[in-house]
Amino acid sequence: MTTQEHLILGIESSCDETAAAIVAGGKRILSSVVASQVEIHRKYGGVVPELASREHLRQIVPVVREACEQAGVSLRDLDAIAVTRGPGLIGALLVGMTYGKVLALALGKPLIGVNHLEGHVHAVLLEAHAAGRRPALPAMCLIVSGGHTVIYRVTTEAVNGAEAFSYARIGGTRDDAAGEAYDKVARMLALGYPGGPVIDRLAEHGNPRAIRFGQPKIKGNPYDFSFSGLKTAVLYHVKRNPQLQPEIEARQQAIERGERGADALRALSTPATLDLIASFQRAAVENLVGRTLEAAAHYGARTVFVSGGVAANSELRRLFEAEAAPLGMEVYLPSRALSTDNAAMIAAAGHARLLAGERADASLNAEANLPLA
Amino acid sequence: MPSREIVTRSWEETIQRGREIGEQLKPPVLILLSGDLGAGKTTLTKGIVSGAGAATEEEVTSPTFTLVHKYDRGVRVYHVDLYRIGDLHDLETLGLEDVFTERAVVIVEWSEKLALRTDWPVVRIHLEHVSEDVRRISIDDPAGVLSAS
Repeated sequence: MTTQEHLILGIESSCDETAAAIVAGGKRILSSVVASQVEIHRKYGGVVPELASREHLRQIVPVVREACEQAGVSLRDLDAIAVTRGPGLIGALLVGMTYGKVLALALGKPLIGVNHLEGHVHAVLLEAHAAGRRPALPAMCLIVSGGHTVIYRVTTEAVNGAEAFSYARIGGTRDDAAGEAYDKVARMLALGYPGGPVIDRLAEHGNPRAIRFGQPKIKGNPYDFSFSGLKTAVLYHVKRNPQLQPEIEARQQAIERGERGADALRALSTPATLDLIASFQRAAVENLVGRTLEAAAHYGARTVFVSGGVAANSELRRLFEAEAAPLGMEVYLPSRALSTDNAAMIAAAGHARLLAGERADASLNAEANLPLA
Repeated sequence: MPSREIVTRSWEETIQRGREIGEQLKPPVLILLSGDLGAGKTTLTKGIVSGAGAATEEEVTSPTFTLVHKYDRGVRVYHVDLYRIGDLHDLETLGLEDVFTERAVVIVEWSEKLALRTDWPVVRIHLEHVSEDVRRISIDDPAGVLSAS
C-alpha cells in the first residue's frame, strides 16, 4: 500500500451532526455518513445540549458501522482514526472523541486529534484534490457557519517529506457568527429554524437594494466582522413597521402547524418582507465577500477557500465568483455535502497530520473553545 | 446600592459601563443578564470581561453556538448563553456543572430561560431598547457586590 492509499476513519460530533467517514489517500471518499439532529432540536427551536449528547451516544456506533459497511472496509483495515477534538459543544465532542480514542486503543491504530475548523479547510482541499486540482497556496480561507465566522491564511511547509499545514488567523467576528445572525433574523421574522436556507430561497423574490443596511464600522483589524449591528438594524426595521406584524404571526402559526420551508412561507410573505430578507442577505453577503477578498489581496493570496454551512448560500457563491475573477483570484467552494459538518473533512485533515508524523495519545482531550491559530 | 438604572447612548458607552462593573467584581459571582435580541447583552459582557481583566473586548464574542466561552487571564470568567436552549432545564443538565465548582465570574445571557440555583452572590442586569442607540440598563444587586460604586 502506498502512502497515497492510507485509509482513515474520521469521526465528527462537535454539534448537531453525528458523522463518520472513510477516506482513502486523503482525497477519495469511500463513505460519508451524517446523522443530523436538526429534526430533534427543531421542536425546541434550538439545541438541547443534554439531548444532543444523548443523540450522539445513540448514533455513534451505528454511524461508524454504516461508514465501514458502505466503504467495504473493516476496522482492522484502517491506518488511523481521526477525531474532532474541538471547538464545539463539550458534551457532544466528548462522545465522538471518546469513541475514537477507545477504537484506536483497542485496534492498536494511530489516533489523530483534528480541529473542526481545520476540517473545514480540508473539505475544500479534499474536493479539489479529488477533481485533480492543486490549489495554489497560500490561500485565504473563510469559514462561515452558525458558530464560526473567521478568516485563516493557509500555508504549507515540508515536514518529514510531507506537507504540514499551518494556519494564521487573519480576522473573525467580534460578536455574532454570520449563521447566527441568519438564525436570529429568521426567529424575528418567523421563518423557522435553521434560518439560512429559507432566507436564501426567499431572498430571490425580494429587492436586495430596497433597504440600505450600512456596513459595520469596526475599529482595529480591518478583516474582522460584526453581524450584531445588522441583526439589531433588522429588529428596528421590524419595530418601525408594525404592518409587518400580522404576517409574522401568520407565519408563526403556520410553522407551529408544521408548514415550514420557503414555499409555504413565501405565500405568507408580502413584498415588504421579501425586500427586507433580500436586503439583509445582501448586506451580510457583501460584508463576507468584501472583507475576505480584501484580506486575500492584502496578504497576496491568489486562492480563496470558502467553507462551512453558510458556504452553501447561493448569493454568497454567486458574489464570490463574480468578484474574485476580476482580481485574478481563484475561488474554491465545496459542494453542499462537504460545506456542512461532515466527517470526510476530518479524515482528510487527519490524513495530512498522519503524513506529517503526528500521533495523539490517550491523554487527547476535547476542548469547547479550541483555537486553530 | 441594591438597585439602580443607567441609560447609555452608544455602543461605546455600554462597553464603558460594563467595564466599570467588571472592575468591581470579585469571584465567585453570578451575573444574570436578560433582555431582547440586540438589547446589548454581549456588548455589555465585552465591557464586563475586559473590566475584570480576563480578556480584551475584541476577544469576547457571542457564545450562542457553543453555549459557553471561558476567559481566563488572571480572573476566570465563564460567559454562558442560553439562547439556543429550547426547553426548561436546570443548569445541571446542560453540561455546565463544572462552571460552579470553582470560584469564577459567571455571566449568563438569556438567564430568564432557566431557574438557576446557587449560593453565590447574584447581580441581575436587565437591558432594554429605548431607541436605536439608546439602552436602559437596570441593575439589581441585593448582595451589594457593586457597592464600591
